[in-house]
Amino acid sequence: MDYVIGVDVGGTFTDVVLRGTSGAISVAKCLSTPHDPIAGILTGVTQALADRDPAQVRRVVHATTLATNAVLERKGVRVAYVTTRGFRAAIPLGRYARVEEDRYDLRFSPPPPPVAAEDCFEVVERVSARGEVLTPLDADSVRRVAAEIARRGIGSAAVCLLHSYANPAHERQVAAILRESVPNVVTSSEVWPEIREYERATTTIMSAYIGPLMASYLSQLRTRLAGLGIHAPIHVMESSGGVISAELAARRAVATIESGPAAGVLAAAGAGFADVISFDMGGTTAKACVVRGGRPEITHEFHVGGKGSFGGRRAGTGVPIKTPAIDLAEVGAGGGSVAWLDAAGALRVGPHSAGSSPGPACYGLGGSEPTVTDANLVLGYLSSASIPLSPALADKALDRLAGPLGVSREEAAYAVHEIVSASMASAVHVVTVQRGIDPRGFALVAFGGAGPMHAARVAERFGISTVVVPAYCGVASAAGLLAGDLSTDRVLSRLDAPDPEAVFTSLAEEAAADLGVSLSDPAVRLLRSVDVRFKGQSHDLTVDWSPSREVLASRFCDRYRQVYGIAQEGEIELVSYRIRLTTPADAHARSTAPTPAPPPAEPHPPGARRAYFPELGGYVETPVHTRDTMERTLHGPAIVEDTESTIVVPPAWTAALTESHAVHLTRGSESP
Amino acid sequence: MSDALTAEVLRNALVVAAEEASIVVVRSAYSTFIVEGSDASAAVLDARGRLIAHSMATTLMNSMALKVALPELIEDIPLETMRPGDVYVLNDAYRGGVHTNDLLVYRPVFVGGTPAYFTATMIHVSDLGGLSAGGMAPLATDIFLEGLQLPPVRLATADGIEPAMEAILRANSRTPDKVMGDVRALVAGTAVAAARLESLIGEYGVEGLAAGVDDYLDYTEARTRASLAELPEGRFEAAYPIDDDGINPEKSHHIRVAVTLDATGAVLDFAGTDPQVPAAVNASASQSLAAAVFAVRCFLDPTIPMNDGCLRAIDVRLPEGSLLNARSPYPCGGRYVPIYAAMEAVFQALSDAVPERAIAPSGILQPFSIAAVGAPYWIHLSYDFGGVGARQGLDGPDATGVHFGVGRNSVPQAEPVESRCPLIVESIETIPDSGGPGRFRGGLGSRTVYRFLADCHVTTRGDRLRLPPPGRDGGLPGRVGGFFKRHLDGTVERLASKVNNVRFAAGEAFIVETTGGAGLGPPSERDPAAVLADLEAGRVTPRGAAEDYGAETQSSIRSAGSKLIG
Repeated sequence: MDYVIGVDVGGTFTDVVLRGTSGAISVAKCLSTPHDPIAGILTGVTQALADRDPAQVRRVVHATTLATNAVLERKGVRVAYVTTRGFRAAIPLGRYARVEEDRYDLRFSPPPPPVAAEDCFEVVERVSARGEVLTPLDADSVRRVAAEIARRGIGSAAVCLLHSYANPAHERQVAAILRESVPNVVTSSEVWPEIREYERATTTIMSAYIGPLMASYLSQLRTRLAGLGIHAPIHVMESSGGVISAELAARRAVATIESGPAAGVLAAAGAGFADVISFDMGGTTAKACVVRGGRPEITHEFHVGGKGSFGGRRAGTGVPIKTPAIDLAEVGAGGGSVAWLDAAGALRVGPHSAGSSPGPACYGLGGSEPTVTDANLVLGYLSSASIPLSPALADKALDRLAGPLGVSREEAAYAVHEIVSASMASAVHVVTVQRGIDPRGFALVAFGGAGPMHAARVAERFGISTVVVPAYCGVASAAGLLAGDLSTDRVLSRLDAPDPEAVFTSLAEEAAADLGVSLSDPAVRLLRSVDVRFKGQSHDLTVDWSPSREVLASRFCDRYRQVYGIAQEGEIELVSYRIRLTTPADAHARSTAPTPAPPPAEPHPPGARRAYFPELGGYVETPVHTRDTMERTLHGPAIVEDTESTIVVPPAWTAALTESHAVHLTRGSESP
Repeated sequence: MSDALTAEVLRNALVVAAEEASIVVVRSAYSTFIVEGSDASAAVLDARGRLIAHSMATTLMNSMALKVALPELIEDIPLETMRPGDVYVLNDAYRGGVHTNDLLVYRPVFVGGTPAYFTATMIHVSDLGGLSAGGMAPLATDIFLEGLQLPPVRLATADGIEPAMEAILRANSRTPDKVMGDVRALVAGTAVAAARLESLIGEYGVEGLAAGVDDYLDYTEARTRASLAELPEGRFEAAYPIDDDGINPEKSHHIRVAVTLDATGAVLDFAGTDPQVPAAVNASASQSLAAAVFAVRCFLDPTIPMNDGCLRAIDVRLPEGSLLNARSPYPCGGRYVPIYAAMEAVFQALSDAVPERAIAPSGILQPFSIAAVGAPYWIHLSYDFGGVGARQGLDGPDATGVHFGVGRNSVPQAEPVESRCPLIVESIETIPDSGGPGRFRGGLGSRTVYRFLADCHVTTRGDRLRLPPPGRDGGLPGRVGGFFKRHLDGTVERLASKVNNVRFAAGEAFIVETTGGAGLGPPSERDPAAVLADLEAGRVTPRGAAEDYGAETQSSIRSAGSKLIG
């Protein structure tokens, strides 16, 4: 029997999912080891393998936060930035927006630039917007820069020259000269040749910043897995949900920044519904994403290290990255979010989180501030079943709110529960309503430690009547890794290119070479799309390619109406050409055999505890089931609790266990 | 469950309603200010003219305009005559508006057959006539030279945009298609927010929403007063000059303010401010109100929401017929010149009141336009930012808009501009030594050079280009910037700070240098390590370090400026 392994390294836990040819699954969850993430991976893999033969592992798919953390913690390598003469100040000056609370802050200081002013260099050259050489490259100016970079002991360089998307020749020449003395050189035309120099530069800089770390990490991972007897290829998930080889991931590290969240969305996409909203709530944040027709929505720009606002990662508050990523909205609302009273006595929740240390008050680790988890314990939604929790400490923490508010403890707790549900709903709002998508008719797929406890309440806010809690929802991201196809994306900005076919062909050939596949292989799929805008506008929309201008115009106008709600007509122009090349990762991952359910257990009489439901007037005696022993259909109020998750089934909701061991919650009285 | 407990949820929902409207306008507008700068505004108000919430990107200038103008709209067009689907527009600067190019668009939201709320959007549209394409008319001597004026009128009904209005707008614009694109975006934005508001009415009930709004405003007022009470009581006076009015380059004008703080709130009295002038350096009252409120809020808890509750605690007195409250037909297009002076005056007064949060005066934004000399029109409308004044304990950020929270994000990049207009951006740089020296250094100004590939017209509207921002507490002034023309032979000529349609020939270059922020505290007290770091980063030159700070330029310190250009 052959196996594939998915490994998701998160902030708290490292999850490993092993799947065999037969579809059998083994799962391991262990604590992450931030100082040496590979140690945690080896522990998890060893557990999941148990007594299976490591030589039979055919593939390891990995989601890593290495790149994200390196950016957030500023732990990448020192980078020299090389650009066209006259523009070295662009990166230190930056482009940033202020979010609401910064606006009145006279003591605001801009975020530090990704490259210090003194590490930004200029070379003499100039290319026009149409790609014509206005000033030839002065090779001596490059040599002087190369010498200075070497003198400063900088080992990694990012090259972004103006209009290099239109003509990359100068960038290539600059890189060739720099490589004689600088070990790692990345050019913008190779990383992401799209118009707008600031974002292209930051994307290139981030690639140079984390590439060397990624390369050394993946090579260590390979060596240490080999030490366990696993010699299989290692694949890494990209932000866009495809997977690439470890070699390619080292070269295109910037494409892996949203690796982990992407895997979770793929798991949700595989939950058996065409249109779903994935809803992942952990200890500090909640993330939402829309999947339509089985395909997650993709964005072409996102920001790392930025501030969020109303569920969006606000442009201009972090470092912009111009590579495709699954379009997630994230809010600072999780189980550890702290509830507090502001200066005027209003109840607020988050964004500060108690994290894992000191953690919620009920963990008994010294925390005394009330958190969402404490509120859920007071409300009877959570219990001490799997982790020992102290109801007395949670009560005491909630009383710190209830007293000043002049309400009962449970009213305060329910207000916390409701505010955090609303906050999570704003993430859902961003990816649906704000994008012109009506969320009714979608299924909400809930996972993460806290997701299933809040999912039905979030769904109610949008008129969503189906909530799905998948089997293995505690390790959903690791399971999602096994669903990813081998895939890579390419772009080229070229205003109304005279020969689009040639552009697409060259992009596809590059991509095929990177994936090591042949374009003539029938399993290889090529998706072509193009960014279109009205002449004179600056924002564009991506639509599927057609050689017919009329068809493109009509696709664009349809999309425009969908996104902006305005029927507009006008002359269009094509800005950038995009391809995505996809090929199945392996036969196992394609297998659609349902995840086998564990052997059915006899229905058990449920336990019971008091839980708070305001529509029933307060605390009511509520049956507590486990997934293994629940009846096929339950009517709320009820709680389904096991090691994976705690699912709250509010009144007016019905829970049903499916063949694949998922729990479906349905609103309304219909019985399945 | 008590309503008060979930007030936070409703408050967020109201802001989100405005936020969605803003997103729609930004994404679908044509105006170059908007498409490159994301500068669209949206707000939710009620039929009593109270500002309830505005979107994140909305500047106070725009939300105060929307607030002050709504009662004027209702006065001309009584609520009972409004019909569902109607949308109204105005730009009258003497009735809450800003200047002719800023359109204020309102849509009533009905409860029981009567408008109870309004959703509103506002942007600087691409062109509505006047002396100069894009709406900058720095040498206008009356408002009629600034473009088409719109009193409160119906713009659209449920059937769509009024054909008569479309005809008038098109006939008065150099870019009729773009202006209509902008107008449709504004209308669509109000519709999105209105739909959201209707669903909130459904969710909370008519009474519930009204009570929630009242609570929100009361809560904001309470927080504002509590934060004001933390400032020292007293009366603090300051004045700030304006270089000139553009017509008479020798004569400066002054804004004066007395800020009185006591336990009940703040009074900002601008009595003594110079009278309005027949030149484009006057402001409409809504804009001056915004400046005063903004400046005060910079000394309060930044997390206080912005709505009518905040305004109740701040009493702003603007003498009628002064630079800060102009009457018809005195032009208001250059309003940012007097209101930046007003803000600076309040900053200086409050810096005296709260020295530990003092800020030295700043270089300000310098708007300009570059346009085709004839049809077909293309236009690049933009602004560069001056350096921010030094703060007590902190240097000023470089070339960053400090006021109204605008930031560097508004500045366009070279590639999209070059792909749209016949010009080459030669460089975008910071200017070494331009930050006012001090114990804490002012932020640097910037220099941008545009070389033209076709003949064009340049229009500018600058200030603080003759009178530099003065240093505070022993700090030195920032270096003044300017607008310049580089001739074909390489000689550089300084332009006046406010010029209209200066013709540039192909091959000539337009140089924009912004003014540096002023320093705070004596330069001799600056930490030598900070001077060294500035040298290393190229923010000061060896000569600047020696002259301004008396720093010995040791041979080990190499000039970053010469080394970094290969």
